[in-house]
Amino acid sequence: MKGIGLAKGLAVTLKTMTRRATTRQYPDVEPELPPRTKGVIALIEENCTVCMLCARECPDWCIYIDSHKEEVVVPGAARARQRNVLDQFTIDFSLCMYCGICVDSCPFDALHWSPEFEYAEYDVNDLLHGRDRLREWVLTVPAPPAQDANGAPAKEQAAAEKALAAAAAKAAAQAEAGTEDGNGRM
Amino acid sequence: MTHEVIASTGIDAAGLAEDEYPLGTDMVLNIGPQHPSTHGVLRLKLVLDGERVVSAEPVIGYMHRGAEKLFEARDYRQITMLANRHDWLSAFSNELGVVLAVERMMGIAVPDRAVWLRTALAELNRVLNHLVFLGSYPLEIGALTPVFYAFREREKIQAVLEEASGGRIHYMYNRVGGLKEEVPLGWTRRTREAIGEVRKTLPDLDILIRRNEIFMARTVGIGVLPAEQAAAFGASGPVARASGLDFDLRRDEPYLAYGDLDVPVVTRTTGDCHARFECLLDQVYVSLDLAEACLAKVDQLSGPVNVRLPKLVKAPEGHTYAWTENPLGVNGYYLVSRGERTPWRLKLRTASYANVQALTTLLPGTLVPDLVSIMGSMLFVVGDVDK
Repeated sequence: MKGIGLAKGLAVTLKTMTRRATTRQYPDVEPELPPRTKGVIALIEENCTVCMLCARECPDWCIYIDSHKEEVVVPGAARARQRNVLDQFTIDFSLCMYCGICVDSCPFDALHWSPEFEYAEYDVNDLLHGRDRLREWVLTVPAPPAQDANGAPAKEQAAAEKALAAAAAKAAAQAEAGTEDGNGRM
Repeated sequence: MTHEVIASTGIDAAGLAEDEYPLGTDMVLNIGPQHPSTHGVLRLKLVLDGERVVSAEPVIGYMHRGAEKLFEARDYRQITMLANRHDWLSAFSNELGVVLAVERMMGIAVPDRAVWLRTALAELNRVLNHLVFLGSYPLEIGALTPVFYAFREREKIQAVLEEASGGRIHYMYNRVGGLKEEVPLGWTRRTREAIGEVRKTLPDLDILIRRNEIFMARTVGIGVLPAEQAAAFGASGPVARASGLDFDLRRDEPYLAYGDLDVPVVTRTTGDCHARFECLLDQVYVSLDLAEACLAKVDQLSGPVNVRLPKLVKAPEGHTYAWTENPLGVNGYYLVSRGERTPWRLKLRTASYANVQALTTLLPGTLVPDLVSIMGSMLFVVGDVDK
């Protein structure tokens, strides 16, 4: 019969009309973003050792790092040690491709993803986020989600559990030694 | 759009035999290039005789970014990032081709859990890709509504992919040797729920457009691509299957976990615009089933989702060709390595490129209004054409 397809389509429209809209009015209603969302990259400067891995691994080289060396005199050491001091750490978010290789490759957990995304600018130069802005983002970094129990635990989790076990073993050994010591003295 | 009326003897009307149009004036009409996000960035040079297309020449390359050359100066993790962008609607499947090639060269055995997760994610990516076309194609020929239904469904799947990978379009979730990280706790359940919801509400889109009389009038019998021509142009994916070419790498040369799955291949025989649309629509149902089957398997498997890699990932000297059934068709990566961290050459074979070539024979003889129907149904992403 002619027009049956149209009629069915109209029925769908009618059905949808009676339902609540799925649209969320974005600026008024904030989106719920999962913790892994790649919004912006945060830098915990204290963890950065200026190893330059992130800057080198970045596929479009949008991380700019400057540093200088400082001598640290350690009392008792034969020679003064050298330490890298960060002068500049800038991510150019106008170039960033949001692949997360820098976050992935950082061996010291200095870089983290934050789901924040509202940092559009009128001037492209303002998309250069320096140390201060990258530090501000740290406050918005969420805790990582728990992983599927069927999978192998995350590297960080495994390392933390190992450290915890080692600490517990050490404490137990010390306690044992302590009681023996005490017994010996008594 | 620029209009240009020139004499048939002019050099721009090359390809037309002079005696075919001895006296008349033909119009050479440029369609596109317009905006990078529309079909318009593909330029079509048409020679028109009134409303009828005499010849059509797709002029490609307006979006050429030199991806293949860029690959040669990037290591394999960085290539994954670049590779997922040439076809921005099937990022996960694109990543897959690269890592499969490198894994094969390096002889890496990917853990089972990663294989099944990858398969599930690849199928979800297929659903996402198809939903874009299921929405945008009716939009292009004047049906405004379906796109809202398509994107409503897309959002549900996108949410679970974002939860796992952190990306909405460019996931960067594949790594050589597996996946970047384990999926979050409860992800498989939420994904199953999302699949269930899509399955429940997808019929809305289906009922709305599949048998709509106006839509049928614009697509049935329009732009018929015979099977031989589809094969001759190297068309693949839903475009080729709509013409009756029963070819699907997931069944015919299984990769990932497809060998253990029963992959129903959706085909049509008419080869017209409507058949292509129907293939797309039915494939969504198939992909949802496949993804669900994969997730059930993922829940039974435990273990890591990636392998420990050497500090420097180097594909040994040699070459390999990895091809995958991408949402739009066969996607191939020919990887030539000289044992360095970067490939010596990584050639891309993209589905869109072959599909677009078929326009040259598909368009002549059709009317200008049908041109839009045909172009939209040939399923290409211009980034995938121009690389």
